Amino acid sequence: MTRKILKVNEMSCPACVMRLESIEDELPGIYRIDASYHRQEMVVEFDESLVTMAQILQAVEQKGYHPLIKET
Amino acid sequence: MVNALIALITGLTTGGLSCLAVQGGLLASSLAAQLEQDVQQPRPPRSRQGNADRPVPPGMAAPILLFLAAKLAAYTLLGFLLGLAGSMVQLGTIGRAVLQFAIGVFMIGNALRMLNVHPIFRYFAFEPPKVLTRYLRRRAKRDTGWLTPLLLGALTVLIPCGVTQSMMALAVATGDPFAGAAILFAFTLGASPVFFAVAYFATRLGTRLERYFNRLVAVTVLVLGFVAIETGLNLMGSPYSISALARNLTGAPVAAAEAMPDGAQVLSIDVKNYGYIPEVLVAAADRPVRLELKTWNTRSCSRAFTIPALKLEKLLPATGTVVVEIPPQPAGSVLQFSCSMGMYGGVIRFN
Repeated sequence: MTRKILKVNEMSCPACVMRLESIEDELPGIYRIDASYHRQEMVVEFDESLVTMAQILQAVEQKGYHPLIKET
Repeated sequence: MVNALIALITGLTTGGLSCLAVQGGLLASSLAAQLEQDVQQPRPPRSRQGNADRPVPPGMAAPILLFLAAKLAAYTLLGFLLGLAGSMVQLGTIGRAVLQFAIGVFMIGNALRMLNVHPIFRYFAFEPPKVLTRYLRRRAKRDTGWLTPLLLGALTVLIPCGVTQSMMALAVATGDPFAGAAILFAFTLGASPVFFAVAYFATRLGTRLERYFNRLVAVTVLVLGFVAIETGLNLMGSPYSISALARNLTGAPVAAAEAMPDGAQVLSIDVKNYGYIPEVLVAAADRPVRLELKTWNTRSCSRAFTIPALKLEKLLPATGTVVVEIPPQPAGSVLQFSCSMGMYGGVIRFN
């Protein structure tokens, strides 16, 4: 399992948390997403053999945000 | 009634869009995928106009209405319970003042958060528990029957938006289950048309309003926050509330005490639905004052008369005269009086 933290600075309210966490139902291979409005970031736990980081970043961008990988 | 009216106006002006921002995802999830894409997704980059010409999908009105009806019922019940909780606490004047301060700080913090003044203000927004949001999201996507929008509408009580949280605080402050229910009913009802319109017409309204909306909500909440602080100051009998300062600056009408043969002095206040007349009264120091409070078909909170410094609280009849005896006060002292909600007030100066 791979764990990445994405910085998402455009979260404007707690609704964005639900919006971003819904990606865990949309992309196969994601175990869990924990987004935080307070910290403006999301923690993604996923299986790299099923989904790539590029696909996750694209999914976040499709929701209207511009994520940056914070740490590996 | 005044609070319910304020709640209705707040709902009409800002509540619908604010709630949609938080709860729209649930509604969108329970509807068709097309609506989800139109309403819930934030504007994708370089697509500021949205899909204005996309027709509204057929059959969208019924689930939105079911969602809103369930939401209205659930929030009315919540308002009742919050008012009931407020009544059980039995707050005194100072307790209500502290509560009003807390509500004011919460509202102002939320407004500053919406205006992006500083990251610290993000902590004024309540984040629902992950378990709950995950359950709601999956429940919404699982089935598409009429029961789903009903259930999800009711469950929105668990993820209130910032403005709604402010209204919930007001409902507690009423200390009356029916007044609490009236506030949240009025607010949710007021929010419903905007919520419906934005959900139904999707991006056509959303993209045009979005630019101005956040600031409008923030400014409204900011004003409500300052009103709550002002109310708290009035309840504490503070000379630094805006209304007290305004009375000093504008020279409000002043009435002097009438001396009685027995040495007492009499002051008279007309208790109106919209406040007290006069707001400034003057009496001689070191002599008792007989204060006559006169009501004529008065129905507002002005009937609940308080003088915080004397710990005096009187619920006046709708029509009649109640006499309050005020003990001698030293020269130069000022007694603030107000209604129990801190909305109306005035002063008695002792010379």
